[in-house]
Amino acid sequence: MKFELFSQAELLQIHEATVEILKRVGIHTTSPRFKVLLMDHGCQEQGDRIVFTEDVIAKALKTVPASFKLYGRKDSHVLEIGQKRAYCQTCVGTPSMMDLETGEKRDATVEDLEEYTRLADALDYVNIISPIFPRDVPQEIILTIETATLLRNTSKPLSICVESARELPYILELLHLAAGGEEALHAKPIATIPVSPLSPLEYGFDPAEALLDVVEAGLPLGVEPCPMMGSTGPMTLIGTVAQHNAEILAGVIAAQLLKPGAPLTMSSRATFMDMRSGVGLWAMPEMGLAGAAMNQLGSYYNIPVAPGGYCGASKVADAQSGYEHLYNAMMEALVGSDIIGSAGSLDNALTSCYAMLVMDNEISSVVQRTIKGVEVDEDKLAVDVVAEVIASHGNFLAHKHTRKYLRAGELWVPPLGDRQTFEKWAINSEKVEDKARRIAKELIATHQVLPLSPEVEAEFDKVIARARHIEMGE
Amino acid sequence: MSREEILTGLTEAVIEGDDGLVVELTQKAADAGIEPLVIINEALTKGIRIVGQYFGSGQYFLPDLLLGAKAMDAGVKLLEPLLLGTSREFYGKVLMGTVQGDLHEIGKNIVGMMLKTSGFEVIDLGVDVPASKFIDKIKELKPNVIGISALLTTTIGRQKEIIEVLTEEGLRDQVKIMIGGAPINQAWAEKIGADGYAEDAITAVEVCKKLVASA
Repeated sequence: MKFELFSQAELLQIHEATVEILKRVGIHTTSPRFKVLLMDHGCQEQGDRIVFTEDVIAKALKTVPASFKLYGRKDSHVLEIGQKRAYCQTCVGTPSMMDLETGEKRDATVEDLEEYTRLADALDYVNIISPIFPRDVPQEIILTIETATLLRNTSKPLSICVESARELPYILELLHLAAGGEEALHAKPIATIPVSPLSPLEYGFDPAEALLDVVEAGLPLGVEPCPMMGSTGPMTLIGTVAQHNAEILAGVIAAQLLKPGAPLTMSSRATFMDMRSGVGLWAMPEMGLAGAAMNQLGSYYNIPVAPGGYCGASKVADAQSGYEHLYNAMMEALVGSDIIGSAGSLDNALTSCYAMLVMDNEISSVVQRTIKGVEVDEDKLAVDVVAEVIASHGNFLAHKHTRKYLRAGELWVPPLGDRQTFEKWAINSEKVEDKARRIAKELIATHQVLPLSPEVEAEFDKVIARARHIEMGE
Repeated sequence: MSREEILTGLTEAVIEGDDGLVVELTQKAADAGIEPLVIINEALTKGIRIVGQYFGSGQYFLPDLLLGAKAMDAGVKLLEPLLLGTSREFYGKVLMGTVQGDLHEIGKNIVGMMLKTSGFEVIDLGVDVPASKFIDKIKELKPNVIGISALLTTTIGRQKEIIEVLTEEGLRDQVKIMIGGAPINQAWAEKIGADGYAEDAITAVEVCKKLVASA
């Protein structure tokens, strides 16, 4: 299956615009380590900015791995990043939560993080889990607590976005413990660590240092700035894409200069602004179109991509959320996406919602089905079957070919959507969002997660206690 | 050009957001001997007020508003050296900044521009502003309102810290506090004891006016 937004000539033109931005405007950073790394490899200082040369860009882009594997704590969770499988990832960092009982928006709590992670663990088409942002834990050690809570409530691969390098040592320690040691984690990484520099083209101290530390730690990196068309990027979609590409490539280049071959993803988040209220929108169609554009650039460079896509501006899990999330995710998947993030989110990625995650599981299922494409071969074309059925004056229902392909999964089965007769449906007249909420409650009540060993659990407690001691002086 | 023509042209240039033309006509007005305060009040401010009306009625959008404000600013800047001894009248003085550890500024800048165009004097401390700097500047400039911005979920705690330090320093009663940022809501504002919160820049101006009026 191959969909393209741009011709080869257009791709080249966008790439050249990006290179020009890197050469003429470059980046700004307050991290001496980041600056020295770039300068040592041929970048140049121009006023307060670091500008790139074609040589350094070309050299660094050559060493980016086209693919890498991401693992879960369970052997069955192996993701092939680089194969364009559109793995669904939950939204990171939402400070608010839709209450499962009342349906009201409120602060996210650590209990939400536990239950929401367990729900994501139970949903077959949610593949990577990122933490929501509990407000009832000490903010000094929030990432440490998040990482431990994620590992305790899922065996799926994780994505832990860091805004600074401060808590990285604890995160790494927890990951080592869960993976069975540092070497085991390097051999089979169970988490990607995205960092988010500022748009436009600003590598502030914290994200710049975090980026280098993640690469040094040997974990897959995500480079994830988040420009807004018309405010922190040009008003034109393609202008923002060219700038976004430049700011992502700057991080990609730094990672490769530090450690050639370091695994990473271009984690685009090209959003836009409501020009009346100033609200940052993660809505359709621009988010999906820009994500798709960034995906095609990723393919052009042979670099894995991980845009946000299960997102929209709707405030509740409703029809608007359904079509926004489907549009954005499908656009990105059709052009070729390794990971699609933001699942379960509402209100421009500011709120997470249990019911929406169940709905996104359904959307992910049909997205992943769609990009498998439609195989063409003689047996599937079934000319003989047509002839036989006509000749026998029968129908296809009673033909073995029908049973064979039904069993082989020819028909997509919705994990959520209703397909009953009207009469059966009318007994409860349940809307999809209500059904999603019911399923979420059932799964949270019944789903069993692969537990950590008691020894690892005990070590986790020690890591958290140490983080508390060092970061909070307790 | 007659005096009326110059002033009308200046108003229209602000409405169009044409800063080059504003500079040209402001110079012409000053050269023609029109009082600086008259130029400001009867041409520049009139223009920006119409820009605000167009925005309110849905005809104009944020870029129109910001370009209008930028054009007006260009004119005012030219007149400032001539203003010595006279002073402009403002609605109130607002001190703004993004908290320590946070470099996000677009939301703060929009609110700042909206306040300026609505007749407030706005002093912007920029980004990554530690609590101590807020405190020093409050002591120095005595603003009516301070606006504390934070976007990252890891930095919004700094808003609380600044309010706490203000209370410790005995300054809390002397200034009204507004907070903002994508993850901020009314509940958080109440929890940390801020006086005002607005979900967007337009509402922020209304809230700010109310706070100044109630002080």
